Amino acid sequence: MSGNAADDAGADDPAVGDTPVGDPPVRDDYGVALRGVVKRYPSGGGGPVVALDEVDFAVRPGEFVAVVGPSGSGKSTLLNVLGLLDDPTAGRRLLDGTDVTDLSVAERTRARKESIGFVFQDFHLLPTLTAVENVAMPTAFDPGDASDRAADLLSRFGLGDRLDHEPSELSGGQKQRVAIARALINEPSVLLADEPTGNLDTETGEAILAEFERVKREGVAVVAVTHDPLVEEYADRVVDLTDGEMTGGLPGGGESDSDDAGAPVPDDGESATDDDPAAADDPATAGGDR
Amino acid sequence: MSDRSADGLAGWLRGWGPAVSMASRNLRRNRVRTALAVLGVCIGVLAVAALGIFGNVLALGADDAIGDIGTQVVVSPNADAGVESLSNADVASIRRAVDGAAGGGAAVVPLYSDSATVARQGDQTFATVYGVEEPALAYEAAEGRLPDRHRQGAILGAGIAADLGAGAGDTVEIAGSQVRVIAVLVESQTFSPVAPDDAVYLPESAFSADGYAQALVVSDSGEAARVAADAIREEVNAREERVELFELAALVDEINEFFGLLSTFLLGLGAISLVVAGVSILNVMLMSTVERRQEIGVMRAVGVARRDVLRVLLAEAGLIGAVGAAAGTLLTVLLVAGLVVAAEEVDVALALDPTNGYYLLLALVFGVGVGLVSGAYPAWKAANERPVEALRN
Repeated sequence: MSGNAADDAGADDPAVGDTPVGDPPVRDDYGVALRGVVKRYPSGGGGPVVALDEVDFAVRPGEFVAVVGPSGSGKSTLLNVLGLLDDPTAGRRLLDGTDVTDLSVAERTRARKESIGFVFQDFHLLPTLTAVENVAMPTAFDPGDASDRAADLLSRFGLGDRLDHEPSELSGGQKQRVAIARALINEPSVLLADEPTGNLDTETGEAILAEFERVKREGVAVVAVTHDPLVEEYADRVVDLTDGEMTGGLPGGGESDSDDAGAPVPDDGESATDDDPAAADDPATAGGDR
Repeated sequence: MSDRSADGLAGWLRGWGPAVSMASRNLRRNRVRTALAVLGVCIGVLAVAALGIFGNVLALGADDAIGDIGTQVVVSPNADAGVESLSNADVASIRRAVDGAAGGGAAVVPLYSDSATVARQGDQTFATVYGVEEPALAYEAAEGRLPDRHRQGAILGAGIAADLGAGAGDTVEIAGSQVRVIAVLVESQTFSPVAPDDAVYLPESAFSADGYAQALVVSDSGEAARVAADAIREEVNAREERVELFELAALVDEINEFFGLLSTFLLGLGAISLVVAGVSILNVMLMSTVERRQEIGVMRAVGVARRDVLRVLLAEAGLIGAVGAAAGTLLTVLLVAGLVVAAEEVDVALALDPTNGYYLLLALVFGVGVGLVSGAYPAWKAANERPVEALRN
């Protein structure tokens, strides 16, 4: 693949993990943002299902946002679109201030590896790999050995004595810690978690959320999609998503969506208004034409 | 530019290390299933290699047995055209034709022919008697020495010498006259109308005929014999069909063709079992990628490239193929060795013939190839699935 050489060069640069897309002026901008994003799925009968309806959403580096809402409200779709697993039908998507709305499959894969960490409800560790290998798995095919980094991360999460254990030998909380370590192996700017505490008891869930707090303090934008009220307690901001319509998607009130149409880079509008409900209502009404 | 492509190549090669490591662990997860797939390839490779070698040994053995059957051309006068014997002029033109032919070098040995009673110490037998001037060109002596110019004495074929119990230095009675035996020929490996085993060779001076009955054209190889025969047809039979040619090269060709067909047929039989093995790998890989759909989705989600997922899965199929092929090849070697030890009919030299190695290599390559080809579709399918679909519960 032609992108390989550039990829290698980037990986050799020790600073690249901090600034995956390498654009200093927007470094203090949102870690990840959606602008007027619509996602429609074709459905069997009738019109398409609208999973996301004119969603404006942004998370600052170091911010922990919980997205709540009933089942089928589009939370998973939101996470998939944020995580470059799925493309929006309309609207823009930004990662570290860079427009990543239209990327090729290979580019998206690389962007996921470099800038996004995933944590799943079911942990999704590879059962044949040890804890260290699971953590290093995203970089397994890259030059250089990430085992030391993986071991450091695991030690940070209190799993220093479980490095060579396979997932079957770990408890649920330990597995989720391994999964978080895996998500952090490339020092991402965004951590996306899908029901991270869904399969854990309350105590373990709290421990995992405490880890998220640590992660966010390191400047990572954390987004957790959840049903768990516990997560809301730990979150800096709780965003509601119902029937694809989002309330409170932008931090600190956020700018109005008049901004969306023209400027793709949300550079200056960040602290413009304090008007939280209004901003949240706007996209909802704008998208309410279905 | 070349630097970059060298980097690309190094990167490409580097990716196979972790791929093979992950693949081998995945294969160990379901050992029974993996072992059965390996067994399938092993049997397929065994079938291809063993049947291939079997056909090859048959062909080699046949080649050995019919020997240089194809290296002789017998030129006879064409009685239908009223030619009763070959004149000196005919022999000269045969020589010209043969010398002019590509490769050349074939020896022309004209023969007088008659028959006579041959006797020694009460044993007697009826034999063809040939008159020959240069026996050394066409024959080899087992006993005594063949003269460059045959002036006196008799040369006995191996069969007749055994019948009469005569050796070089003995005296035999041929058509009433006592003749000293100067040599006995080696037993003929050649099927030829001029059968030397039951013949007696005398100097040309013993004959009073006015023409030769036959001429032998002796070449080094079947190919040279064919060229010589064609040259003789063109040269000697240019105006009228003066001579008839009896050449065995064509027959040898047909025999070789038959054995070639037999080998192909046997290989085909083996290939069927290898195809079956391929289907079993396909099945195993499809099952395994469906079972591991989420895992593969996770790998893709956390940033493992499609190419690398493809590599892991291809490595799994390739490993099944390679291990099965190696085991099958080893089994074939043991089988052939066992056959050589157990059955005396199987010549060690034939079994060790280097061409058999070709069949081993062929089977080995096919085994690995079948693994890769069968694994390609499931691997491609799994690697190209959208992670968002694969992750869906």
